[in-house]
Amino acid sequence: MANEVKLPRLGQGMESGTIVKWLKAEGDEVEKGEPLYELDTDKVTQEVEAEASGILLKITVAEGEADVGTTIAVIGEQGEDVSAIAGATVQRVAEVAQEEGSAGPAREPEPEIGREVSAAEQVAEARQIERGNGAGARIKASPLARRIARERGIELGSLRGTGPEGRVVAEDVERAAASSAPPTPTTATTTTPAPTGDVERIPLTSLRRTIARRLTEAWQAPAFQIAMSADMTRAQDLHARLADGIRPGSAETRPTITDILTKACAAALMRHRAVNVLWAEDAIELHPSANVGIAVAIEAGLVVPVIHQAERLSIAELAAARVDIVTRARDNKLRQEDLDGGTFTISNLGMFGVEQFVAVLNPPQAAILAVGAIESKVVPTDTGFEARPLMTLTLTCDHRSLDGATAADFLRTVKAFLEEPGLML
Amino acid sequence: MPELSYREAVRDALSQAMRNDEDVFIMGEDIAEMGGSMGVTQGMLEEFGPDRVRNTPISEMAIVGSGIGAAMQGMRPVVEVMYEDFLTISMEQIVNQAAKHRYMSGGQLKVPLTIRTQGGAGWSPGAQHAQQVEAWFVGVPGLKVVFASTPSDVRGLLWSAIYDDNPVIFFEHRTLYGLKEEVPEEIEPIPIGQARVHREGEDVTVVATGRLVHEALAAAEDAEQQGVSVEVVDPRTLQPLDEDAIVASVKRTNRCVVAHEAVTRMGFGAEVAAVVQHQAFDWLDAPVERVGAKFTPLPFAPVMEDYVVPHSKDVLEAIMATVGRDGGS
Repeated sequence: MANEVKLPRLGQGMESGTIVKWLKAEGDEVEKGEPLYELDTDKVTQEVEAEASGILLKITVAEGEADVGTTIAVIGEQGEDVSAIAGATVQRVAEVAQEEGSAGPAREPEPEIGREVSAAEQVAEARQIERGNGAGARIKASPLARRIARERGIELGSLRGTGPEGRVVAEDVERAAASSAPPTPTTATTTTPAPTGDVERIPLTSLRRTIARRLTEAWQAPAFQIAMSADMTRAQDLHARLADGIRPGSAETRPTITDILTKACAAALMRHRAVNVLWAEDAIELHPSANVGIAVAIEAGLVVPVIHQAERLSIAELAAARVDIVTRARDNKLRQEDLDGGTFTISNLGMFGVEQFVAVLNPPQAAILAVGAIESKVVPTDTGFEARPLMTLTLTCDHRSLDGATAADFLRTVKAFLEEPGLML
Repeated sequence: MPELSYREAVRDALSQAMRNDEDVFIMGEDIAEMGGSMGVTQGMLEEFGPDRVRNTPISEMAIVGSGIGAAMQGMRPVVEVMYEDFLTISMEQIVNQAAKHRYMSGGQLKVPLTIRTQGGAGWSPGAQHAQQVEAWFVGVPGLKVVFASTPSDVRGLLWSAIYDDNPVIFFEHRTLYGLKEEVPEEIEPIPIGQARVHREGEDVTVVATGRLVHEALAAAEDAEQQGVSVEVVDPRTLQPLDEDAIVASVKRTNRCVVAHEAVTRMGFGAEVAAVVQHQAFDWLDAPVERVGAKFTPLPFAPVMEDYVVPHSKDVLEAIMATVGRDGGS
């Protein structure tokens, strides 16, 4: 009996994934539980295990994007005929490839056309549903879907239900809400083919697409920024002492200024709980722990793995946690749980010599801290002038969940903690 | 922490209560020399003597009735009804007497009686010795109903049942007696009316009781493999019911499956489904799925019995139905 390998849904909201590569070839024997292929989803690239044992008879989607539930391969017994199962998918992939004039992976059509088609489809299907149920028939939708639709002002009749028996479920409404956001302007290159050889078109990875979608959403939030400079003299002393304290040859991680900063932010978040919040559309969620995300640049883009319950960790533990997530981020080994649950984000460009910058919100978090380089600046003292190491902290805040005075109070605490680390205790 | 089997955990709670308190004694068919048909009370006669570990005639009416009398006189009896199927014979005493005296006497009388009983399929004991009848008692005001699924739960809950001033029907599941779990050194009483979340999850809540808690946990593992995250909640006490815990869980996951070994029709899951649809209606993204035995007397043939009662694959199918996927195995 042949088993179809279907593209799995690895998390809520996942609609499609991109197959990066197969770890087995057609004809190979596979054991249930063995890694079968690498899948690139919105957030992570991960190995997916075989759900059945047998011979990998056919790979129907060799590479590229496929919808959740698509048959991507068939596992069965040697010599089994799988043409009936595999045929449909192969044909679909072939058609798309032909349209694009290349044998490459199936890609979404150009956005403009894509939108028209899907809107037309939706209307047609909505009509069909109405016809099927008779005029004015009740639309099948889950109570949760109805509630979300009501809250966001979305017409249920305009949606295509993907639940059992065509029921509209919450995910359908959320998808419609996301796609009704203002379209991004298209450039001329989408209508006029670019001359070959001059412009390289890099197809979006799903990570890039997620970055684009999330940051576009973030940009719509009413944000404001506040900035302060912290005198890093004592933080640098502490840093030096912590680094000196590590015995040569020990496996302990050398803490960095970032770790001291994470500690300061986590401690400050515990004192200013109103900053450690998430915007939940109909409520503001106050979180009990400081789950601090660290923006990490990786080859493919940007990820924000989270150090959970950072307020409970010592600087040494924070350093170990940071090295762990940053290493795994760079090796594409992050798990979903590494990316979930963040309540605050730190983005540090100090190492590039950036003096100060403004970060874009990481919704639904209320605030993100942009950290610049430590620079020696002349400051007035009681007796004259002195050069001091100053670092500029710029906090971007979501004004829906956070007001200026609260944010300022928080940032002042972070500054105080950095200037006198003993206050964190 | 010591590891106890479910059987040893029941015995431990009984023995400790009897050492702790002269008013506690046990009574039932073959519980003394024989140590009970399931071996739960083995060795207790030697420790506590025949006055406190009492064999009774084969009359469930008399066992429960005399337990009620002793309870009203200030004792804390724990009576054993050998098979829960036989509760039918003591129904008058349980429903019309034990459940009513405190109410009808305006609080002057109380009935601190615990009725231990056991049942369940899995050993092929046939239609009259394997039923799951817990739901019948949930509909009787004046009774508390407990159904523990693990050794630590059964120990902590039996302790609370003994020291509760109201009649408690305490269900044990036959196939769980050998199950082992680490339990606290000292008995930690578990409040009656408090659910236990066995496993946290994000996509579907399974509310399961008795043996089905373990089937649900196995199904949750399988679902996880398929990318569906399942929360497993065991109410542990059916009356009173920890509605808050169940509703809070469903509000997070938006989907609910109820699972028990008793028949689905009028099963305990029906009550849970009603609570969920009423208190979490606007949070539901799928109909509540029910898992239970097929509506037939339990067959004697093992293969048929196996077919009638639910297993983890049935729970998995229900989980997958709530997320709009077939659970095809």
